[in-house]
Amino acid sequence: MVKLADALEEEIQAIFSSDTPWVTIVWDDPVNLQSYVTYVFMELFGYSKAKATELMLQVHNEGKAIVSTGSREEMEHDVARLHEYGLWATLQRGDQI
Amino acid sequence: MAATEGFKRHGAHSYLATFDSAEKEVILNLVEQIIELLAERVDHVHDDPLAAMVGITSHDSPPEDDVLHRLLPNAYADDVDAAEFRRYTESTLRGKKQAHAMSIRMMLKASPEGDVELDHQGANDWLGGLNDIRLALGVRLKIENNNYEHLELLSPDDPLRGVYAVYTWLGWLQESLLEALMDEVE
Repeated sequence: MVKLADALEEEIQAIFSSDTPWVTIVWDDPVNLQSYVTYVFMELFGYSKAKATELMLQVHNEGKAIVSTGSREEMEHDVARLHEYGLWATLQRGDQI
Repeated sequence: MAATEGFKRHGAHSYLATFDSAEKEVILNLVEQIIELLAERVDHVHDDPLAAMVGITSHDSPPEDDVLHRLLPNAYADDVDAAEFRRYTESTLRGKKQAHAMSIRMMLKASPEGDVELDHQGANDWLGGLNDIRLALGVRLKIENNNYEHLELLSPDDPLRGVYAVYTWLGWLQESLLEALMDEVE
């Protein structure tokens, strides 16, 4: 019964939520130190050291990583803060990655 | 005076470094260049004082200078979206980056002995400011794809060799501050 209620709630939310999630992407940059990128993720997003390190490694090894998800406005805010600290970041719609 | 040993943690939320006069001069010179570089583009066509007051600029194209372009990158892959975002935010971003550099400048100027003591916000100012200098030098040194071979092979009288030495030293200094900060996290 509980399971059905949860599924129903999710479905209804999906129907009424017109907001497509947006994402903030950080791109690899040979100048930024690995420890610095990790620190900035912890500082700006409040991520644990383990999560921040994992994201930093993803940027380093795969060339990019999604570091946050939310509304377009929220992602613009995140990109602006990442630019303030010199990380190479862009935002885009989550369904266009 | 001995060359700096970098930043060390000194109690809670306090990070100390001592610079000799030559090191101080190098950092001061670079932050002053960054402050100047980040100064507003002269906006000849701006005729809306209210827009200027709230930081909206009439220019929305990315900076032509490679260094400025790296410091003030596009927020969108799409040119139209990037231009719109830049129009409303570039001025603020310049100001924030200048504030980091000015914080470094002020602390060095205020210390004839070369002692610098940072709190948490001061540490963030130094990290961001040092990083902007390294990004700027990195563009000039053509550091791309983690390839340093062309820099290791520079002849001793090439002026870029000195720039590369400063770039490396600033990275080491930034790393020492990061180690002091992370030490506290654990």
